Amino acid sequence: MTAIPLLSLITWSPFVGALLIMFTARHRPLAVRLIAAATTGISTVLSLWIYMAYDREGAGFQFYEKLPLVPALGISYELGADGISLVLVLLTSIIIFSGVFASWTIAVRSQEFYALLLTLVTGVFGVFVALDLFVFFLFYELAVLPMYLLIGIWGSTGEIRPRGIFAWAYRETGVGTKEYAAMKLTLYLLFGSAFILVGIFALYVVSGASSFSFLDLEAATFDRGLQRWVFLAFYIGFGILAGIWPLHTWSPDGHASAPTAVSMLHAGVLMKLGAYGVVRLGMGLLPDGARDLVWLVGTIACINIVYGALSAMAQTDLKYVIAYSSVSHMGIVMLGAATLTEAGLNGSVFQMFAHGIMTGLFFALVGLVYEKAHSRDIGKMGGFGRAMPGIATAFTVGGLSSLGLPATAGFVAELLTFLGSWRSAHPWWLLPAVAGTFLTAVYVLRVAKQIFWGPPSPHFHHLEDARGPEWVALVVLVAVLVVFGMVPALAIATIDTATVGLLARILAP
Amino acid sequence: MTAFALELGVGLLLLVVFFANLAARGEDRRWVGGVAAAGVLVLTGVSLIVSPAPPAFGGMFVQDGLALFAKRLFLAATFIGLLGGLALPGAVFARRAAEYHLLVLGSLLGMLVLASARDLILLFVAFELMSIPLYVLSGFAKREDVAVEAALKFFLVGSVSSAVMAYGLSFVYGAAKTTSLAVVARALPGGDPLLVLGLLTAFTGFGFKIAAFPFHMWVPDTYEAAPTPFVAWLSVAPKAAGFVALFRVYFEGVGSAVALWVPVAALLATLTIVAGNLMALPQQNAKRLLAYSGIAHIGYMLVGFAAASASGTAMVLFYLVAYVFGNMGAFLVVDAVARSEGSENLMAFRGLAQRSPLLALAMLLFLLSLGGIPFVAGFWAKLYVFWAAAAAGLYWLVLLGAILTVVALFYYLLVAKRMYIEPPAVTGRVRLERTLALAVLLCVLGVVILGVYPNPVVMAALRVAAPLF
Repeated sequence: MTAIPLLSLITWSPFVGALLIMFTARHRPLAVRLIAAATTGISTVLSLWIYMAYDREGAGFQFYEKLPLVPALGISYELGADGISLVLVLLTSIIIFSGVFASWTIAVRSQEFYALLLTLVTGVFGVFVALDLFVFFLFYELAVLPMYLLIGIWGSTGEIRPRGIFAWAYRETGVGTKEYAAMKLTLYLLFGSAFILVGIFALYVVSGASSFSFLDLEAATFDRGLQRWVFLAFYIGFGILAGIWPLHTWSPDGHASAPTAVSMLHAGVLMKLGAYGVVRLGMGLLPDGARDLVWLVGTIACINIVYGALSAMAQTDLKYVIAYSSVSHMGIVMLGAATLTEAGLNGSVFQMFAHGIMTGLFFALVGLVYEKAHSRDIGKMGGFGRAMPGIATAFTVGGLSSLGLPATAGFVAELLTFLGSWRSAHPWWLLPAVAGTFLTAVYVLRVAKQIFWGPPSPHFHHLEDARGPEWVALVVLVAVLVVFGMVPALAIATIDTATVGLLARILAP
Repeated sequence: MTAFALELGVGLLLLVVFFANLAARGEDRRWVGGVAAAGVLVLTGVSLIVSPAPPAFGGMFVQDGLALFAKRLFLAATFIGLLGGLALPGAVFARRAAEYHLLVLGSLLGMLVLASARDLILLFVAFELMSIPLYVLSGFAKREDVAVEAALKFFLVGSVSSAVMAYGLSFVYGAAKTTSLAVVARALPGGDPLLVLGLLTAFTGFGFKIAAFPFHMWVPDTYEAAPTPFVAWLSVAPKAAGFVALFRVYFEGVGSAVALWVPVAALLATLTIVAGNLMALPQQNAKRLLAYSGIAHIGYMLVGFAAASASGTAMVLFYLVAYVFGNMGAFLVVDAVARSEGSENLMAFRGLAQRSPLLALAMLLFLLSLGGIPFVAGFWAKLYVFWAAAAAGLYWLVLLGAILTVVALFYYLLVAKRMYIEPPAVTGRVRLERTLALAVLLCVLGVVILGVYPNPVVMAALRVAAPLF
């Protein structure tokens, strides 16, 4: 424990940045970007610092802060981080720091863009470190809402027109437009938050502890029936954000329409927020409910893996491919959690981290490609590797991690998850999971070959590689992907401190 | 004496406005409104220092914490409403401004008495004193057909509801043999079927007054045709008065018999939330949209009512405070845009963020508050109401309410989309009169301050609601 409120600093630093941008940097684009880079840089450095300083022997929640807000209702501003939160805080800071650089070239209303983006990030950090369920919910809403404007204003509309028998319905509702995607995403996520709210209230009322504190609720005991339905509420609520089938459809539309930094943050971090919610609140507070319902979580996760991968194969829009691959990979995250084994849960959290970095990298690359080529249509592209070798290399590394090649972070995560499934009560989960990896290889390699390594396309001229600040994002993300793939213990040792305790609670007779 | 200081004050103000109008010369008499607004502002200040007093007239008139809380709310809402209406354009309004303000003040007097009424007769008289000026005000633009239609519709529905209420109350009198609500409340746990029947019938009448589904039909038409600053006030203050009367009749001193009302209120809440939100979806006129969304908000308050507990009552009171600022603010922005663009259609909001960023931001805050988004007042309001309902075990109602807020956010966000995402159809700032801007600013302050630091108001509401049970 330290006297300095490190977690608060990490959480609120971007928000201060947002305020500074709104009030001081009017019409000075460079100042806007520098403030954004500086404040997210502070968060990144501090996240690294707490990641190193975390006492792995002691485990549990550290860097604890508490400040009563509404004592009468038992609401307090209570923060703390354990092994799982630390990894995700680190992920968030890396992604947003890269995201600031990846969207360096945003031209329209950049001041508002960065202000909203930084506000959003404060919400994400807050969710990962909040120990008070009420404050957790506040941060959660804060992380969801700015998205509407971010996608609605700065998003892009897909260029591929709807076909097939439902084409008229698609045109009628504006499927594929950024406005449609923004509204769909916002409404889906708020629909989910309704379930979360009811779940939180139920725990608050039934526990009789008059406290929203995670630690107090963890100490309370709930009867099995209540645990089941609250777990289900949390699973639906957070699951929507984690992209569980069949409630995932907001995710491809949203991620494809969002501007680069927002896609990076949303697919890279916000979807993890859903998985984190299931693990932290669902499994952490409701061990019996979790034990009774993991069969559902795991089965749906398997559907996610295969369905997401098959959908990704069918896409012709580059951003949709990446977006559906997120749906597939989030299946691995949920599957790992559902195994209720140490390996599986570690793999799940590690996959949150690995997939976050990987998807962040992908969306940054797609953003760059789109910016240079002004197209997302895979069919039209070809041979970009000659003009943009840096981007091509980074994409290939990301792709290899995505299909789980050894020496990349994706391999470690998937291996652990598979190991966990084999040891779990439902070993058959292994089949769809491995099949998913195979399908991933198919679509990733196909896309990489078509875009970067095939014969040059006649549609594009004067393509160029990433420039200046854009390199920052690529280098940072690729480096993280490889380093954590080579030395997975960097993350696993930390994650393990939290998952062991969590499992002990769930599996205790 | 101090028990009726506020009522006397409003009565005095009525006389002042009346004589000021007699003394006035010329065609533009809108300055009379300034007198009325200033007077209401002073009375709002007075209401903050008035303290609860013992009951007067043998318990007919009580000046307890609840009455004071409600009166402060009515006065503040009236001040904002009058401020927004000071610069209403139009020669007719300029000439007849004193009538307008006299009627508003008359209705306000009715609300103030209603908040203190602890007797069936006084309650009914206060209700009528509050309602009748509202009918007249709805048809204020008497040469326009829509206004006459709206006023007539409002009047007919209102009269019928008053009649039903009086009918129900007559049963209550027949069963309890007294008009004193305190005695009625004590008699209720006895479970006399006639008494319960009477109160349930009267509930229908109250349902009309607060515009709960299916008693809501007058709302959209009336709102659409009446002057907007008046509508802003009409949409909040009489509703708040209706809820306070509900608390007085159905909760105060009733004890364990409150459980009688839970199924009725929960059913009414469900219907009102679902119907209000769904009917708001296709609206293209901003005032009609807010009218239907207002019906849905009444449903959310009924969720708190259905909790039938001290915390539920307190949370409805807090909801009312948040609703006053959020809803009045939204209506006033609609008025500002309508005056400038000559259209109340949602299309008039296109690109507002680029034309008048501050006005658009204000509207966004109001919409977010109405939608129940964190860090603005409406979030706490919804949350506290849900919390009270969850504490009463009504989880299904909470889930339903929370899911329907998603529907509400859809139509609120559509307005936000018009303002922020779509390009403007015309350029140039929206003209905004100073007084209207001030009224909007007051609403913004209310929404933001309550959103960031709701604790004092919540505590006050809990304090005044506790003695009812």
